[in-house]
Amino acid sequence: MIPGGLQVVSWGVATSVRDAGRSGLAHLGVSRGGAVDVASLELGNRLVGNGASWAGFETSGGFTLRCHTPAMVAVTGSPVDVFVDGGPPVGWGAPVVLPAGALLRVARVRGGARSYVCVRGGVVSSDGEVVDLGDDPLEPAALHPVAPRPLDGAVRVWPGPRLDWFDDGAWDALLTTRWEVLAASNRVGVRLAGGPLRRERHDELPSEGLVEGAIQVPPDGQPIVMLADHPTTGGYPVIAVVDPADLWLVAQRPPGATIDFTRSR
Amino acid sequence: MTARILPYGPRALLAEYQSIEEVMIAAARLRRIALPAVQEIVPAARTVLVMHDGSDTSALRALLSEEPPAELPTVLQFYQDHADRIDGVDEIHIPVRYDGVDLGEISEITGVSVDTVIDLHAGAVYTVAFCGFVPGFAYLVGLPRQLQVPRRSSPRERVEAGSVAIAGEWASVYPSVSPGGWRLLGHTDVAMWDDAREIPALLVPGRRVRFEPE
Repeated sequence: MIPGGLQVVSWGVATSVRDAGRSGLAHLGVSRGGAVDVASLELGNRLVGNGASWAGFETSGGFTLRCHTPAMVAVTGSPVDVFVDGGPPVGWGAPVVLPAGALLRVARVRGGARSYVCVRGGVVSSDGEVVDLGDDPLEPAALHPVAPRPLDGAVRVWPGPRLDWFDDGAWDALLTTRWEVLAASNRVGVRLAGGPLRRERHDELPSEGLVEGAIQVPPDGQPIVMLADHPTTGGYPVIAVVDPADLWLVAQRPPGATIDFTRSR
Repeated sequence: MTARILPYGPRALLAEYQSIEEVMIAAARLRRIALPAVQEIVPAARTVLVMHDGSDTSALRALLSEEPPAELPTVLQFYQDHADRIDGVDEIHIPVRYDGVDLGEISEITGVSVDTVIDLHAGAVYTVAFCGFVPGFAYLVGLPRQLQVPRRSSPRERVEAGSVAIAGEWASVYPSVSPGGWRLLGHTDVAMWDDAREIPALLVPGRRVRFEPE
């Protein structure tokens, strides 16, 4: 371990240390946790030679980090403005070695909602601003940079368990409405405005299990797509489920962006 | 009556049953048989959610659809039969200050006085049937029928940690600050979730619970 290898100068917006999360504890009320856009965390880890699920930083911008040891970093997720003082420039999707003393500033995310900063060795613990790095993984870093994937594709959905709680037009409304992402969205879920989706049944649904990507509809008809920190059970009917392969697209939509849903297969 | 199996995307199924007792039997069977494709089993009030690896689900469906035994044990009997006593503790007593904002409303809906609402809530013995929602949130059976009132029509944006609450056939304590639609009877200072404990959740499935007026 390299104790105090990094120092967080400014946490910025919604920044936290995240690994890929855990499964098998939903029955105790514990959801996956972990990076909201796991694929981007895994990509960042692979770029710097880490194990795919190791911990890095998830941030929505304004995040500043100082290196107290030479550190290889890679930035993935949303495209983002990155500035370095005292070291070489850091672009998206390429491993770069920063010398001790360098200052990495992850400024404004552009187009998406969250960027990931992975560091060779991984973040093994953080206490306040002091960050301990893991030992060198002794695996090669990526030789070639990767290109960002487009963040604005349509999101595939499957019918959910309580589709029959909604009126005949609700499924079509889900697929034809251009939904707007609300600012109240967070790691728990992406809140959407549009529609509304109308229920046919108004009785009370006993609490039931939720999966990541479940589209839950509260009485106001405005859907919420569940993300990594979702409650493990809920009492509002689930009209549809986002295909797991497209969930990252939902996680990367910033407030004010739109989402189009399309029928899976 | 066999389960109704509802679609839940390419990596999950939701099996719906007639009662919490049937749910517990089905969830226990699933844990015992442990199909390799199964990743998470989340029992709830009338359903078992199963997350799987996306492979063929026919064996899983067959297992979820097995007929329940003719005579169903109660939740309490179920845990006495299936689980060892949890760390030697028979019953957890939770001190409650009955000062909840919904006491008046509960009294109106149920048609009994506020004092009777408190007596009924504090007089019952509860069993944790399952956990969910957020870490440390437990669904307790044993709420007297007279106290079974629906959730609020619109949830509160903020419910304080330690809020003692009821909804439908369930009783619980909010472990942390969260939004919530249950009706609030009072509050307790006992921590429902403590990372420093070996088992962080105080109320785990099978635990017997009593509420005591402070």
